[in-house]
Amino acid sequence: MADILRISEVSVRFGGIQALDHVSLSVAPGEAVGLVGPNGAGKTTLFDCISGRRRPSGGSVTFDGRSIDGVPGYKRARLGIGRTFQRLEVFPELTVREHIIVAERAHRGVGALWRDLLNLSRVRPEEQERVDAILDLVGLDHLADVPVAALGLGTCRLVELGRALACEPKLLLADEPSSGLDHNETDSLAMVLRVVQRERAMAVLLVEHDLQMVAKSVDRIVVLDIGKVIAEGRFDEVLAQPGVREAYLGAGA
Amino acid sequence: MSTLLGYVLPGIPYGCDFALMAVGLVITFRTTGVFNLAFGAQAFGAAFVFDLLVRSEGLPVWAAFVLSVLLLSPAVGLVLDRFLFSRIATTNMTAKIVSSVGLLIAIPQLLPILFGGSPRENPPSLWLDQAHVEFRLFGTAVNGSEVSTTVITLGAVAALLLFLRLSPAGLEMRAVVESRRLAQLQGIDSGKVAASAWALSSVMAGLAGVLLLPLSNVLNPTNPLQFTGLLVAGLTAAALARMRSIGVAFGAAIGLGVAQEVLELYFPNGALHTASVNAFPFIVLVGTLVGSKSLRSLGFRADPMAGVDPPPPPPSVSIRDPRLDVPMKWGFRALIVAFVVSGLTWVPGYWVTPLDAGLVYSTIFLSVTLITGASGQLSLCQASFAGVGAFAAGQLAAHFGLPVLLGAVVGGLMAAVLGAVLALLAARISGLILTLLTLAFALMADTFLFQYSWSGGSGTGVSVPRPVMGSIDFTSNRAFLVLALVVLLLCILLVALVQRGTTGRFLAAMRGSEPGAASLGINLLRARVTVFAMSAGIAGVGGAMFGSLYSPVSADSFVYEISLAFVVVVITTGSRRIEGAVQAGMSFAIIQFLFTYAPSRFQGLTPILFAFGALNYAQHPEGMVEYQKSRWMMRVSRLLARVDGRRGTAPTALAAGAAGNGMAGGVVGGSAPNGAPGLAGSPVGLSSGVVSPRG
Repeated sequence: MADILRISEVSVRFGGIQALDHVSLSVAPGEAVGLVGPNGAGKTTLFDCISGRRRPSGGSVTFDGRSIDGVPGYKRARLGIGRTFQRLEVFPELTVREHIIVAERAHRGVGALWRDLLNLSRVRPEEQERVDAILDLVGLDHLADVPVAALGLGTCRLVELGRALACEPKLLLADEPSSGLDHNETDSLAMVLRVVQRERAMAVLLVEHDLQMVAKSVDRIVVLDIGKVIAEGRFDEVLAQPGVREAYLGAGA
Repeated sequence: MSTLLGYVLPGIPYGCDFALMAVGLVITFRTTGVFNLAFGAQAFGAAFVFDLLVRSEGLPVWAAFVLSVLLLSPAVGLVLDRFLFSRIATTNMTAKIVSSVGLLIAIPQLLPILFGGSPRENPPSLWLDQAHVEFRLFGTAVNGSEVSTTVITLGAVAALLLFLRLSPAGLEMRAVVESRRLAQLQGIDSGKVAASAWALSSVMAGLAGVLLLPLSNVLNPTNPLQFTGLLVAGLTAAALARMRSIGVAFGAAIGLGVAQEVLELYFPNGALHTASVNAFPFIVLVGTLVGSKSLRSLGFRADPMAGVDPPPPPPSVSIRDPRLDVPMKWGFRALIVAFVVSGLTWVPGYWVTPLDAGLVYSTIFLSVTLITGASGQLSLCQASFAGVGAFAAGQLAAHFGLPVLLGAVVGGLMAAVLGAVLALLAARISGLILTLLTLAFALMADTFLFQYSWSGGSGTGVSVPRPVMGSIDFTSNRAFLVLALVVLLLCILLVALVQRGTTGRFLAAMRGSEPGAASLGINLLRARVTVFAMSAGIAGVGGAMFGSLYSPVSADSFVYEISLAFVVVVITTGSRRIEGAVQAGMSFAIIQFLFTYAPSRFQGLTPILFAFGALNYAQHPEGMVEYQKSRWMMRVSRLLARVDGRRGTAPTALAAGAAGNGMAGGVVGGSAPNGAPGLAGSPVGLSSGVVSPRG
């Protein structure tokens, strides 16, 4: 089966630092892949290259069978690449429901100005149903009408997840969704992620420090260190490799 | 060769003066993150004091120099830092720009209030005399003021570089430039460093002002365009230096000064002269702002730990008892009817014009509501768009006999096209650089684009006739009131539809987080072009109405300070909501009208009044008036709830409202009736603090 995402030989330099050094990896449709590695390994940079926030200095990214180099970020989102952010990128003044509606409409391309001017932009019943389904899925139905600025970090991560899911991505890039969450929140987030991934056959690329969550959520992992892929394979096998232990836990571990 | 040199050499002192500006701008920007737009005005303030001390008080030149440049200028800088910029050190870029725009309005308007309105000829020079030829260089005479300007500037910049390189205070300053946060962690008092940066750069500004005196020959307190040239040149040099290197800023400034003089050589007169010499600094400025890659990433690279700065406070959400909705709705309608009836009947004739003006201003201000309130972009050229609308309507009526109302629509469309072009030019820039681009456009419009007979009508201005529809003649101010109200209501409808519709939500998303919006597939460029074009279009229509009210209008009616005043006024009253624009328009017109009774030197107090309001933007992004209104709404709602409590009926609706919305307002939330959770403002602020620095 053709890969949904194929990254080949992607490199990024920041001044004197080689943030990504000929990184290659691929994700099959519906597969959950964990991307792990210490701080500064280049995980978020890699995500930025996939989602189009950053242009790599070399290499290419293929999504769903076509090269997306040079495709701007918003178009990649429309092709089916969703993402959540390590540093929250929510819209503080919008309510949870509005987040989902914005995502839904951006995805369906119903944001034409003439509709607004003819006052045709009210929420339709079938739209309402889809929004409610997403709210229910991420468990935010009771907070639907609260502006996001008033919500805690964990809830905001769920909002980002719901917002990304509303765009019905074929590939979800989840960037440290558990950072700053407590144990229970992490558990429920991992569960939502797993359920959605299986139900929708959505591929997931997960950056995560919480190895327990990674173990629960993914089919295989890729280890990145100082911009290079140093290991790849099943979770427990990879973690047993000495090189990985050294990169991850420091020498002598 | 010697002719060329004859133009190169006189350019150098101008370049030196620009260099002082540019260096000062770079220093304050790098240490405090504030781009001090009022820098040119500060320079002129110092120059005025110097002139006053020498000629009116009879002080020796050196004493006047010490007082004006070495004592007063840094004192002004320290006051600005202490009472304004140190308080907003951690806020976002928009708050900093708004504050400095407030100053850019307030300081020039203060000058005539402090120094009177009459221009002063032949101001004194600091060191060597202008009339005296010091020496000849390859056959070109070099006069005293050119020598003194060049020598003093070189000395000042050299001293500054040595200070930064060698002194411990200079080292601390360089550390803060790299990262304010990290410097703080090293035990450096970044507040002290910021204060000294303000003092230092203010000395630079004062020096630039005093050195410019003999070059400019006349000091006119009522003509702020005088220091516009200084601002543009300093801005351009700072931009060319990527707001970074003092050396590059210095070199670029000298280059600009020389290039400007050399252009005089190649285009000595005629239309080409005006076009090339006037447009040149703007072409360089716009080109740099749009083209420079490192300026584009300025916002991200400013401080590696910028991520730990808190996000701006969310605007307060008014919690309003639902029972207030109906009386407010009908009260609002009654107000409109009462307004129209009063305007047509008993209001005295001389009061009708300010009311007309209020409606017209409200229309123009709606364009600010759309661009600043809805999309979060700060545009400093709305008056220029208004000018395009006014001139188009007037010129089309004069040359093609187009009815004025039709002309207003065409003018609005032309402004919209210009707005779209500007947005496309700015496709890859945002924040400060985008704002500077709009400022550059406003400056370009009033020093250059509007100076032709086919645009601003050069000299006599353009007359925009009052519309006539069938038998209704809007020449009477009372009839015009109705027309202005109809136009305003149409524009309100347009803005309301956009705000409530999908576009408005997309814009709110974009305002909240551009990467977040892009990750959902929202085309940011398209949204931005749409909002710029619509906003410019509304401003154009409003401008045509303005022209029709005050015909004839000239370039002077739409100078760049008017754009600044517009933004500041709307931000003070409330840029987020449509009613904010109407409050702004009516109060601006009425206060302006009341000030016509004051002595003429106090005319400038209207914008100052609003400029001080804008200085509060960091605390109350929703606007002072809106903030006060929401507080009153809260009080009434609470009172109603208490009455309910006494009656024994449960105030269910309000309680639900408070539980739902109450948590939202970092501001009002604190006094929410139920002590609802989430009072402490936004936990989002916390979240960005969890970020690991290397991530």
